[in-house]
Amino acid sequence: MKPHPAPNPRTSSLLKIGAALSFIIFITTAVTTVSSGERARTGGRETPLRTGSPRPARTAQDRAESVEAFGKVYKVLMSPRCLNCHPAGNVPLQGDDSHLHTMLPQRGVDGKGVFAMKCGNCHQATNTPGRHTPPGNPEWHLPPANMKMVFQGRTPNQLAKQLVDPKQNGRKSMKELLEHADDTLVLAGWHPGEGRTLPPMSHAEFKKAWTTWLEKGAVAPAP
Amino acid sequence: MLNLTINKKAYHVDVDPDTPLLWVLRDTLGLVGTKYGCGVAQCGACTVHLNGEAVRSCVTKVSRAVGQKVVTIEGLAEKADHPVQKAWLELDVAQCGYCQSGQIMSAAVLLRENKNPTDADIDAAMAGNICRCGTYLRVREAIRLAATSQRKAGNG
Amino acid sequence: MSRRSFLKSSALAGGGLMISFTWLSAFTPAGREEEPVPTGKWVEINGYVKITPDNVITILNPNPEFGQNVMTSLPMIIAEELDADWQKIVVEMGPHDSVKLGPQFTGGSNSVRMYWKPLREAGAAARQMLRDAAAQAWGVPVEEVTTKAGMLYHGKSRKSGTYGSFAAKAAGLPIPKGVKLKEAKDFTVVSRSKKNVEGLKIVSGKPLFGLDYQQPGMLIAMVEHPPAFGLKLKSFDAAEALRMPGITDIFRQKLYEEGFEQGGFDTRTFNELLVVVGKTTWQVMQARKKLNVQWEPAGDIKDIIGGWGQKREVVVPGELESTDAQLQKMKEYAAKPAEQLRKDGDPETVFKNAAQVIERTYNAPFLAHNCMEPINFFAHVTEEKALLVGPLQAPGWTEPTLAKVLNLPADKIEIQMTRMGGGFGRRAYGHYLTEAALISKKVKAPVKLVYTREDDMTYGIYRPLYTATYRAALDANKNLIAFHVKGGGIPEHPIHANRFPAGAVDNYLAEGWEIPSNVTIGAFRAPRSNFNAAAEQSFLDELAEAMGKDPIEFRLELLKRAKENPVGKNNEYDADRYAEVLKLVRDKSGWNQAANQKYSRGVAAYFCHNSYAAHVVDMVMRDGQPYVERVFSAIDCGIVINPDAAANMVQGAVIDGIGNAFYGGLTLKNGAVEQRNFYNYRLIRMHEAPKKIDVHFVQNNIDPTGLGEPPFPPVFGAVANALYKAAGKRFYQQPFGPQLTNTTAL
Repeated sequence: MKPHPAPNPRTSSLLKIGAALSFIIFITTAVTTVSSGERARTGGRETPLRTGSPRPARTAQDRAESVEAFGKVYKVLMSPRCLNCHPAGNVPLQGDDSHLHTMLPQRGVDGKGVFAMKCGNCHQATNTPGRHTPPGNPEWHLPPANMKMVFQGRTPNQLAKQLVDPKQNGRKSMKELLEHADDTLVLAGWHPGEGRTLPPMSHAEFKKAWTTWLEKGAVAPAP
Repeated sequence: MLNLTINKKAYHVDVDPDTPLLWVLRDTLGLVGTKYGCGVAQCGACTVHLNGEAVRSCVTKVSRAVGQKVVTIEGLAEKADHPVQKAWLELDVAQCGYCQSGQIMSAAVLLRENKNPTDADIDAAMAGNICRCGTYLRVREAIRLAATSQRKAGNG
Repeated sequence: MSRRSFLKSSALAGGGLMISFTWLSAFTPAGREEEPVPTGKWVEINGYVKITPDNVITILNPNPEFGQNVMTSLPMIIAEELDADWQKIVVEMGPHDSVKLGPQFTGGSNSVRMYWKPLREAGAAARQMLRDAAAQAWGVPVEEVTTKAGMLYHGKSRKSGTYGSFAAKAAGLPIPKGVKLKEAKDFTVVSRSKKNVEGLKIVSGKPLFGLDYQQPGMLIAMVEHPPAFGLKLKSFDAAEALRMPGITDIFRQKLYEEGFEQGGFDTRTFNELLVVVGKTTWQVMQARKKLNVQWEPAGDIKDIIGGWGQKREVVVPGELESTDAQLQKMKEYAAKPAEQLRKDGDPETVFKNAAQVIERTYNAPFLAHNCMEPINFFAHVTEEKALLVGPLQAPGWTEPTLAKVLNLPADKIEIQMTRMGGGFGRRAYGHYLTEAALISKKVKAPVKLVYTREDDMTYGIYRPLYTATYRAALDANKNLIAFHVKGGGIPEHPIHANRFPAGAVDNYLAEGWEIPSNVTIGAFRAPRSNFNAAAEQSFLDELAEAMGKDPIEFRLELLKRAKENPVGKNNEYDADRYAEVLKLVRDKSGWNQAANQKYSRGVAAYFCHNSYAAHVVDMVMRDGQPYVERVFSAIDCGIVINPDAAANMVQGAVIDGIGNAFYGGLTLKNGAVEQRNFYNYRLIRMHEAPKKIDVHFVQNNIDPTGLGEPPFPPVFGAVANALYKAAGKRFYQQPFGPQLTNTTAL
């Protein structure tokens, strides 16, 4: 799954404004992160997430359904088709074994690579025919440097919290989060090019689980 | 008929629009400085500039280049005197030479975007270009030399 | 050795002179490495120097260029003795003409070694004739005529003239005999770094390579080969492919007829191929996807192998081999008795009574050459003649084969040699010229045969699969008292029985065994040595540690013994020169300096192709992975013709060695090669190359020997020894990388 990039200013003056904005976002969200952290320590085994836009789970059943749905979401996000572009470092991963992308393309500021190694130099608007050829999408990129949205190495608890943390998800609204299931790069995971394993369930199933998880309170599974 | 602009010259080619740019350059137009090495964007030998980006022409359909600006090694500098080409000659980088047009095209993009690249920048820009003879040290040195001469010439 | 020379001269259009020298000279037979020149085996050769009246001097390079710099360094040798102005020299690639230009073989690190004397004589004789011509014209004694940079001078009379102005006169003069060659101290071109004469063409993308060659009306051909060793073409349905745009022909093509006697370089992977011919490369690539082909087991095949004075029938087994099973089979063979290759003293008894025996086994995989320019060749064959253009290391070995296969006299076959996008031994095997020629003959058109990267990798002539077990016996005082190596391979063993440490140990045994296979193998940069230097040099390192000795001092002790009181008679190496490179690399690398101990350091030295090489590899851990940050190299290859280009080649060999030690490897499953392109055959890249490789040449006036190969093998050993320091354990299987790989975030 490829989350939308944060608004990525093209000019240097816009960059400065963007930097200032993200600073403000950092201040405002830091408070809620702390409070949710406290809740996590004092509350039950599951942590209702109050950060971001989803409303907290109303009932125990909601909470259970949300957690169950996230179990499915997590399986998809940790599959190579999603994980490979959400690396812990600044180099994407490749293949069903999620090895480091052989020629070490770097994330860059906008997630689109650097210098002679921009994603679009090899990744075309569509998949290149044949096995082990670059998969394609007009938007092909990694999450940008200011919103890395790392999946690699994240536990279900960590990932669930991160996905709805406005500080880490580009300050997405509930509506934007829900819509993100149909993002062009998310969908690309189900059209991965010849020879690549599909995510472990259909896109429809994934979208249903994603929606359920969010609508039932975006509850993070127990750590 | 597809209209292409390559090295500032207009071309009209009658090919399947799905044909990779590489083979249009080499087979149709006889611009053979751009090399075939792997066909799957692994080695960088086929690197050309598409609107200034170091695109791998072996996986780039010619249709993507229609109406865009393509520069190949033949057109990088009219007199083959781009700072990168000069540095390559100064340090005698090449051994067999086959990969070098791709290396040079990649290096030219690096130096346009980064006037004073560090080793890490060079790695990041050049890891997509394989040299089987192992001229990497000299590629690195030549990029540094080109950066220096570019800055001295006031282009930086 | 005796030498007779002949001179021929002829007028050039426009009044110039072409001086061509024909002489009978001793040459190391191409394709055989490190053997003394057998007396009486003469090869006729000559060299070209062309001089126009306006003093343009053109020198022809006789030998194929694959990146080893011969296009520059061989003409430098002529220019030196000719006293020509290097800046004004024009260099051209010579035609294939073994009568005029000699062996024309690139391989075995022999180019400079075999052309050194003949080319010097060519230059010196030309200079002598020009001096004679000037002396006659000026009416002065020839001894008083001097030369410099393409000019003739008579000091006393203050007369001078260009070479060009005396060229025509020189053409009519008698043949000079026994012309004195320069002494090394007087060199002004040789041993002075000169730029690659094709540098500008390379950086500006000029058509230089075989794949760049085009002709009007030329078609593109590709071959579909069996997907596995042990299979052959059964049937095919090309109806759909033939309807694809641009496709002109699809047919099956046999290479060699029944009973064909294959020469040493006629190795071919499959004898029948499915050929697709069309107008453009991409169209042919697309049509290949639409072929409906059936393959079937080929069964055992009988090949008749000739060449090198032997003729024998070889049964190529039909089994569909897998690397796992191959390795298992090698273990079984390793336990069986093997062919004894050399024995000194009584190793069996000494091992039996030793205080300590150390035994280690090393393995290394098949390697594909992976030249950046995939295999290709242009051919235009008609009833009367054949023109072939492209990348080839050994035209002289392929031409007779073409003559037989095409049923044409050899003088009707013209092979033009293009610059090669790498060779590494792969392009010594000219089967692809035969393929191209037969295809052209069949379709009656000029054709360029092109392999895709996948064809190139899966239809190869590989470095064999190797293993070797080394044993050392130590006495109670930890002295090395016996040494045993038993090596095997599929399908060839790697052992050089007379190499170090043979000659340095009283009790020594070398054995070899081989397992037949249908996997085609051939020369790969420093054949056999490229494995031995990894295994043996790792083993010596381990021995030194067991004996409590510094690894360099231990090797020097052995070499001292080999020098002062050598064991056996046929030791191939010169112990002094061997020791010299070790001492040089020790000093240049600051081997004993405390400041360098922060590196995981590994050393190795090796002798092959008549030259000596030693490296110190400095490894660090970077992002959790071992990384070779810098390397020090010491080389003795005698006189170095073009020092900067030579250093470049050594640096390249070091990087090639590091890359192959960590990543190189080709495996088979049911006869099919599992690696198809660079996504699963990993080649070293920029970020994995060292930051620094310091190259130091031993300065001497010994006639030059090989350089393309010698620096390559010991890199493997030095890397293995550094890796031991970095990782805290020994690695015995190449490639090392997969045993270290993780996905550490960068």
